[in-house]
Amino acid sequence: MAKLTFVTESGEEITENDATGNLMEIARQNDVDGIIGACGGVCSCATCHVRVKPEWMERVGRPGEDEQDLLELEDRADERSRLSCQIEMTEELDGLVVEVTPL
Amino acid sequence: MSKCPYHDPFAEKREKGPVLETEFDGDPVAMILGLKDVRKAARDWSTFSSEAPFRVPIPREEHLRSVRQFPIESDPPEHSEYRKIVEPAFNRPNELEYQLRMRSLIQEMITEVISLGSIEAISDFALPLQSRALTLLLGVPESEADVWIKWGVHVLRDRDGPTKGREMENYCMKAFEKCSSWEENNFFSLLNEATFHGRFLTDEEKLGFANLAFAGGRDTVINTVCLILAHLAHHPDDLERLRKEPELVNCAGEEFVRFATPLTHIGRKCPVDTEVHGVKVKADKLISLCWASANFDDTVFDKPTEIRLDRKPNPHVAFGNGAHTCLGAPHARLIIRTLLTQLTELVSSITYLSGQPKIEKTADYERVNSFESLQLRVNGL
Repeated sequence: MAKLTFVTESGEEITENDATGNLMEIARQNDVDGIIGACGGVCSCATCHVRVKPEWMERVGRPGEDEQDLLELEDRADERSRLSCQIEMTEELDGLVVEVTPL
Repeated sequence: MSKCPYHDPFAEKREKGPVLETEFDGDPVAMILGLKDVRKAARDWSTFSSEAPFRVPIPREEHLRSVRQFPIESDPPEHSEYRKIVEPAFNRPNELEYQLRMRSLIQEMITEVISLGSIEAISDFALPLQSRALTLLLGVPESEADVWIKWGVHVLRDRDGPTKGREMENYCMKAFEKCSSWEENNFFSLLNEATFHGRFLTDEEKLGFANLAFAGGRDTVINTVCLILAHLAHHPDDLERLRKEPELVNCAGEEFVRFATPLTHIGRKCPVDTEVHGVKVKADKLISLCWASANFDDTVFDKPTEIRLDRKPNPHVAFGNGAHTCLGAPHARLIIRTLLTQLTELVSSITYLSGQPKIEKTADYERVNSFESLQLRVNGL
């Protein structure tokens, strides 16, 4: 069982205690405000943007090339930016916290 | 379709510069061409405003409708408030029950066209599909689609647009009166009950929402559906690939939308004198966000004139970008994805018989935007 917490822009914390699949899908299943995932997870829309807490960045990893190309089009993206559809939840990420920040 | 010589009429113009100085309705329009510039301008609503009733669509539409369209012809913060009113309706495609109803509808319609032998893809499939699917989105009886189908591919821009525009407005006013007998929380009753800044919406506002719901997602969906059918007829290998790799459906859907870009561009008004990449735009004049050019920008898209089912990333702007991103996008995406999936489950191949391209002719470019007519045979499995 892996625990995952989304912190929305309004400060609301939404936790899934048995998180499986990619983060965008988990967010949608939990009605997390600010995660839309319009394109269905194929690196087209950037509507599932999150910022990873600094202490988790190494374990979550850097964006892949496709993801990075898309993020570079977004003025508000920074070094903590990830598209949640491209992060697969694993036991290693148990306890992960990400901030939802619509671009 | 991908062999068509007219699919990117903006390639040479992008090489010449970031802006095409063109004209519509006798007025200058500075058309922004590159993907990054278009995205940036789409988000800069204070410089490039949508507070321009009848002028956000280009050419302008005063003679085609009596009301300003909502929420598209407004700026934040009012725009955000207006948009919130109808978001619950436009997000219904995310619900499983809605998706199952869409699947049943498309299954039924594909089965029917297989039985017909040769079809005219617009009148026999794409137009009725768009109208019947819209009854799901608006939450009205499916029989209402029979009325809408008679309005044709583009309610406002076909030859008798002004007449049909009036007919559509009259239809909507009656719908606001009789909608209480339709399913709960239908689009019209939602607007009847909605409030804005503590008051109910006016008739003009309600009509403005309805006008956009009917006009905005109509020819766009029809054109994209026809492009998909024509492409799969010309490229049977792509239909086979989708059959073998169903996980590609979302990716392929985005790529078809990029390639189709059924809305060529959209207008924004400069409230004050503005310089746009070196082009001077006087106050109250328009710029255009050229989605069709941006989506073929080869500084972003590798070989943009190719349809690649697995294109990734695919940061297209066919649904717009920023605050005004297409409200109907979840519905349109569901139609496209369901269509692709059902074609792989029900259809062995599509035979292209004949077709006549639909060409947008303007002062400075000619763009093929899908088909005036398209004859196909859809062969069952």
